[in-house]
Amino acid sequence: MDNLEDKIAYHRAVEHDVLSAMKNPSPLYWVGLLVSAACFALGMSLWGYQIWKGMGVSGLNNPVGWGVYITDFVFWVGIAHSGTLISAVLFLFRARFRSAFNRSAEAMTVFAVMTAGLFPLIHLGRTWFFFWLLPYPNQRLLWVNFRSPLMWDVFAVSTYFTISAVFFFVGMIPDLAIAKRFHNGVRKWLYSVLSLGWVGSFRQWKHYSKLYMFLAAFATPLVVSVHSVVSWDFAMSVLPGWHTTIFAPYFVAGAIFSGTAMVITLVVPMRKIFRLHHHITIDHFESIAKILLFTSLLVTYSYFVEFGLALYSGNVYESGAFLYRLVGDYRYLYWGMLICNSLVPLTLFVRRWRRSIPFLYVLSILVNIGMWLERFVIIVTSLSKDFDPYAWGLYKPALVEAGITLGSFGFFFMLFLLFTKLLPVVAISELKEVADE
Amino acid sequence: MTERFSFDTKKEFLDKLEELVKSGVSKKKIDTYTPYPVHEAEEMLDDTQSPVRFFTGAGAIAGCIAGFAFTIYTVLSWPLVTGGKEIVSVTAFIIIAYELTILFGGLTAFAGFMFLSRLPVFKNVFSPEVEFSPKFEIVIKREGPK
Repeated sequence: MDNLEDKIAYHRAVEHDVLSAMKNPSPLYWVGLLVSAACFALGMSLWGYQIWKGMGVSGLNNPVGWGVYITDFVFWVGIAHSGTLISAVLFLFRARFRSAFNRSAEAMTVFAVMTAGLFPLIHLGRTWFFFWLLPYPNQRLLWVNFRSPLMWDVFAVSTYFTISAVFFFVGMIPDLAIAKRFHNGVRKWLYSVLSLGWVGSFRQWKHYSKLYMFLAAFATPLVVSVHSVVSWDFAMSVLPGWHTTIFAPYFVAGAIFSGTAMVITLVVPMRKIFRLHHHITIDHFESIAKILLFTSLLVTYSYFVEFGLALYSGNVYESGAFLYRLVGDYRYLYWGMLICNSLVPLTLFVRRWRRSIPFLYVLSILVNIGMWLERFVIIVTSLSKDFDPYAWGLYKPALVEAGITLGSFGFFFMLFLLFTKLLPVVAISELKEVADE
Repeated sequence: MTERFSFDTKKEFLDKLEELVKSGVSKKKIDTYTPYPVHEAEEMLDDTQSPVRFFTGAGAIAGCIAGFAFTIYTVLSWPLVTGGKEIVSVTAFIIIAYELTILFGGLTAFAGFMFLSRLPVFKNVFSPEVEFSPKFEIVIKREGPK
């Protein structure tokens, strides 16, 4: 943009377009909100039912004590990760296209961590004892066990939530100060309070830029540590198929892969409904599609390495566990995972498909499904068939588990829909800055 | 008495700012309001680094020490061997210390930013003298006849 008038017009257009997305919800929006709220309510009622009746209502059994709930936990933590990737890592690499996505990605991170956080509680069974996870001494002055990966998880996930929430809020302060000008009544009051009296003086911007840089620099190693810790929940055990050193990088790659897909799933309808075509362009989508392709290749590579490690280990349990994944009781899920995560994303090598929004949208949903299957396959196959044939057993999710999973999607989409109407969905100040460069 | 210049574009704003600084207006009396960070203006007016980094560093170091001190204190206060691991299992405690380094560092960076930017500005929240506007503005505070 070279022309001065164009620049000024663009600045006005960004404010107008982004902030008008926050006004007057369409009927479609209300339907979406209602459906997600209903799903969430269903999930919560089923959770209540499970608390009332006991864990017997789920399909969990001996030997498969971890099932859909832990799958959902890993899935949602994974979804959260690419939000941080897009907002923090791409910021550090000065990738300009991030400005179109970063706000929705950050919101997604915060909401996905909130959703993920529900699952350890649901999985506990005796949810009312959740505070045993907190680091404080019990009646006999014995502290929690810091050598346990489950304890690491408590620290990693709560730190992740806190830092992501701070990052999300800090990124929004200038935009909230803009939103304040465009609203009246309660909402003006709300944005006034949230924007803290921000005026954009050079001193404020100076400290702000530094803070933003530090938060991005903290969020990047944090995101790597969080999914590594989640993977160690498995890798620290001695179970065949879990006990492997590749798990941490493998999980981190998978997390970014699934999260990138979720960004596409969320931003495509958002862009259409709020008519943000000028600000979130096909070029932006192509860049995201390249990240998706790259992470898909990383994940596929991990699948090969994982198999190779097992087969070359010379350990009959290790190789048995992987052959069981490939041709055992859960083979269709494993093949489905390979098709969704490794095969279909290869189509992104074709430029025309990479630039087709409908194609990307369908692909992103397939990747979401594939990544959910990946976690399920990893968790369930290893538990159902370990060392001793006498202790083998199969697991089938019960309806309650399916309902609670549906409820978690309802919770996530409900929060995201509320976000699109309450807060600026695109980083206005950043778009202006990028346009002027 | 204050003088106020308002511009629609970054270029005009920077040109005027440079002119003002060269003409000998004291940097301390100039304040600018911009719709996004303009690093050239920051450099012109105050080329020191933001002290947010000291807050961040102090928080991060405190978090790291707290992580190790806390875990080691708890295991020594009741030494109980679990899973055949050492009482002071430093490898495991690194993870707690790592997370707390980031947590404390991030939170003190935020606190430092709030403190240094003098936020929240309560009088600005509800009845703002200056609004955060899409214009690039230069304000000069001059001492004039009262």
